[in-house]
Amino acid sequence: MSTERELQISPIVQESVMHNSRTLSNLQSLTASLFGVSAGILGLESYSGFLLYLVFSLLTAVLVYLLRVAPTSLSSGKPPLDTSRYFRSPFDFWTGGLMNGLAGYILTWTLFYGMVRA
Amino acid sequence: MALLSKTITAFGGLLLAHACYSAREHTTLLSLRAATAATLTSSPTVAASLPLDIIIETIISTFIILVGLVLGTRPLRPIEWRVWAGKIEREGEEGFTDNSGAVDRDFVGNPFSLLESRPNFVDIRKQRKEFADWIQKGDSLQAQ
Repeated sequence: MSTERELQISPIVQESVMHNSRTLSNLQSLTASLFGVSAGILGLESYSGFLLYLVFSLLTAVLVYLLRVAPTSLSSGKPPLDTSRYFRSPFDFWTGGLMNGLAGYILTWTLFYGMVRA
Repeated sequence: MALLSKTITAFGGLLLAHACYSAREHTTLLSLRAATAATLTSSPTVAASLPLDIIIETIISTFIILVGLVLGTRPLRPIEWRVWAGKIEREGEEGFTDNSGAVDRDFVGNPFSLLESRPNFVDIRKQRKEFADWIQKGDSLQAQ
């Protein structure tokens, strides 16, 4: 089925899409700064620092899925790991916040690295 | 729910601040020690020598703050139209509050409310009957 026909059969509420994506991107920017604090304290260098960012961002997405999406999504019969009740594309949900928060992460990372390491 | 998430976030923040201060003290101590023994050896870096408990405390406090922040996000709204409309019908505006209980500012409400209350669709006979019943009830109350 083409997308236009799908949209005519089950339309999408634009206001909800905006609300959900705004909530998610706010959360990801905020937590990226937090992870930068942690990386600065631990004194991580180049590759391990970015690896920590990736790991923690994926952990954020998993937590958001478990705490916000899964209770209502699973009870309404969707398969597990399916975010189509609240988000249009799963790729955007799981990996969309990476570019968004990278700047904040590097900012707080260098700040706290300098502060803690003198 | 807002109180729980704020408590968890604050507790994690305390732990993280403690870990930060401990790491700072540790590096200060190491550099002081190196400075006093500078004539003997030159130790260029003090990186990657944090004690294990500070590392564990940092990671666990980050995780606790993360859980607190995720709990503090607003509930998501369904994007399928039929699910969204059903939610409005069942829960009204209580299903669309943010964490402190106030209704969200961009809540639209029932999209057909204008159609459902049009004057052309008023059931006038039912309203006449109701009015007549009310008058009768009022008469019987007065007669008592």
